[in-house]
Amino acid sequence: MESDYAIEADGLRRSYRSRTGWLRPRLTTVDAVRGVDFTVRRGELFGLLGPNGAGKTTTIKMLNTLLIPTGGTARICGFDVEKQTREVRRRIGYVFGGDRGLYDRLSALDNLRYFAELYGVPARDQRRRIAELLDLVRLAGREQDRVEGYSRGMRQRLHIARGLLHAPEVLFLDEPSIGVDPVAARELRQTVANLAATGTTVLLTTHYMAEADELCDRIAVIADGRIQALGTPSELRSRADGRRVVEVEAYGVPDTALAALRDLPGVRETAVETRGTLQVLTVQSDAHVDVQSDVLRELAGIRLGRVDSREPTLEDAYVTIVNAS
Amino acid sequence: MSGLRLVTVGGMIAYRALFNWTRPALFIGTLFIGPLFQLLFFAYLGRQLRVGDDQFFLVGNAVLTASLACVFGGTMAVANERRFGTLGHVLLSPRSRTAIFWGRVLPYAGNGLLISVFTLTVASLMLGLSIPLSALPGLALAMAAGSLACGFFGLTLGALGLRFRDVFVISNVAVAVLLLLTGVNVPPGNLPQWMVVVGQGLPVTHAAEAARMLAAGRGLDAAAPAIGQELLVAAAYAVVAALLLKFFEAESRRRASLDTL
Repeated sequence: MESDYAIEADGLRRSYRSRTGWLRPRLTTVDAVRGVDFTVRRGELFGLLGPNGAGKTTTIKMLNTLLIPTGGTARICGFDVEKQTREVRRRIGYVFGGDRGLYDRLSALDNLRYFAELYGVPARDQRRRIAELLDLVRLAGREQDRVEGYSRGMRQRLHIARGLLHAPEVLFLDEPSIGVDPVAARELRQTVANLAATGTTVLLTTHYMAEADELCDRIAVIADGRIQALGTPSELRSRADGRRVVEVEAYGVPDTALAALRDLPGVRETAVETRGTLQVLTVQSDAHVDVQSDVLRELAGIRLGRVDSREPTLEDAYVTIVNAS
Repeated sequence: MSGLRLVTVGGMIAYRALFNWTRPALFIGTLFIGPLFQLLFFAYLGRQLRVGDDQFFLVGNAVLTASLACVFGGTMAVANERRFGTLGHVLLSPRSRTAIFWGRVLPYAGNGLLISVFTLTVASLMLGLSIPLSALPGLALAMAAGSLACGFFGLTLGALGLRFRDVFVISNVAVAVLLLLTGVNVPPGNLPQWMVVVGQGLPVTHAAEAARMLAAGRGLDAAAPAIGQELLVAAAYAVVAALLLKFFEAESRRRASLDTL
């Protein structure tokens, strides 16, 4: 069964039911994904962005067969994720970020040997395939070491090697760069870009806008279980066209001051990113309104660092989209 | 051929990945020294209470010593996937679950057999029990059947680990139940009828019975039916484990019960 699309999601829904209490049990239903539609062409690198709890991982778990949708349908390379699981699993790889998901007591080589068996890599091809992948993820020479001694970046690269063992047509990367250092993250981006260049379809979820901007052909922004925007990075950036951004580094900004910033004339969006004790305030306004002096007035008496005025980025567009959802 | 590789090569790698007691100190202490002293404890207790002779306790307990490695190993073969966060990746395999998980039981069964042989040999030398040489092949067969049944019994418990987080509690209880109900330490005639009935469905019961017949010099012909029953028990648990694994995997896709991937 051939399809023009590597991934097709049509009205995809997923609810979670949980039961609390013994004497008077209460059933609670949470709609994690509320009707998601998108298609990914073969060989495309597609980004799925969204805040925590937006439904990204649930969507991926439905697409990779770990969860059955409670509504809608999805197909991978034309195969239904609910009914044709074996066909789907032969064609997909799954990589997620974090320290877990590997056998710590085994070497990288044995981890790959085991998953090569599980993913049906023919015995005669295993040695060559594993060597290729160890080279690709730059773990050659360390393959005999136990994984328990690996850094997070090395583990992440091993995750990717494992996901590629059976040369999947579609690779799901669920926040692969989470927690890795900037150098390792850059190497990882290069690896992902190389994969896409060889024709592998990649669905990437990430919190890092620069990563999505650099890698993805198209991006879907998901929030509250629905796709809020879908397009190329430049199309999404244009959502913030006609705006100007003031970025302020500050320390100890009270909630009242943040609320006051939101109420300033001409201000369209505000966002705060906390990095240790530092807060980075991003204030988007209409391009023709200069809000910088008003912003600084509202922050009078607060310790400030760098103040910058700039054009909007993909991240600003993302904030606009998510706040509008 | 590739199915056989999955069972054998896959099973061995999974054993090294998932069994908690592979380090030499843990392996020897937990699987050889501990069970040997447990066997000696019951043998001396038996002498003290005059419930049975040395052969009764020694042979029965030697078969039972396989249960520690096999029951806990079988449980770890599934439940430890949660600990390492690898369960999702295993379930994404397009290959037969039955082959993947049955293959995991074989190294534990081999391990159990090794322990049974070790404890029987050492305890026989220590307590001066002589076993006819002609009985040894049959004894090995009975012990292998007991180990295999224990391994699949452990896998059945491990399958519950796909649904219940604290499955090792069940394994702890199961090992104590085997100690009581398999007739290894308390002759079936001294147990209430319902315990005897339950014991018939547990691993070790028939293997211990066969091993005692062989050690008493009654020959493989006499022991064969009991060995056959033990193998039937092993087959029954293998089927139950496969069905439970299939059911809980399907359930996890429906109810998202495998939250830890």
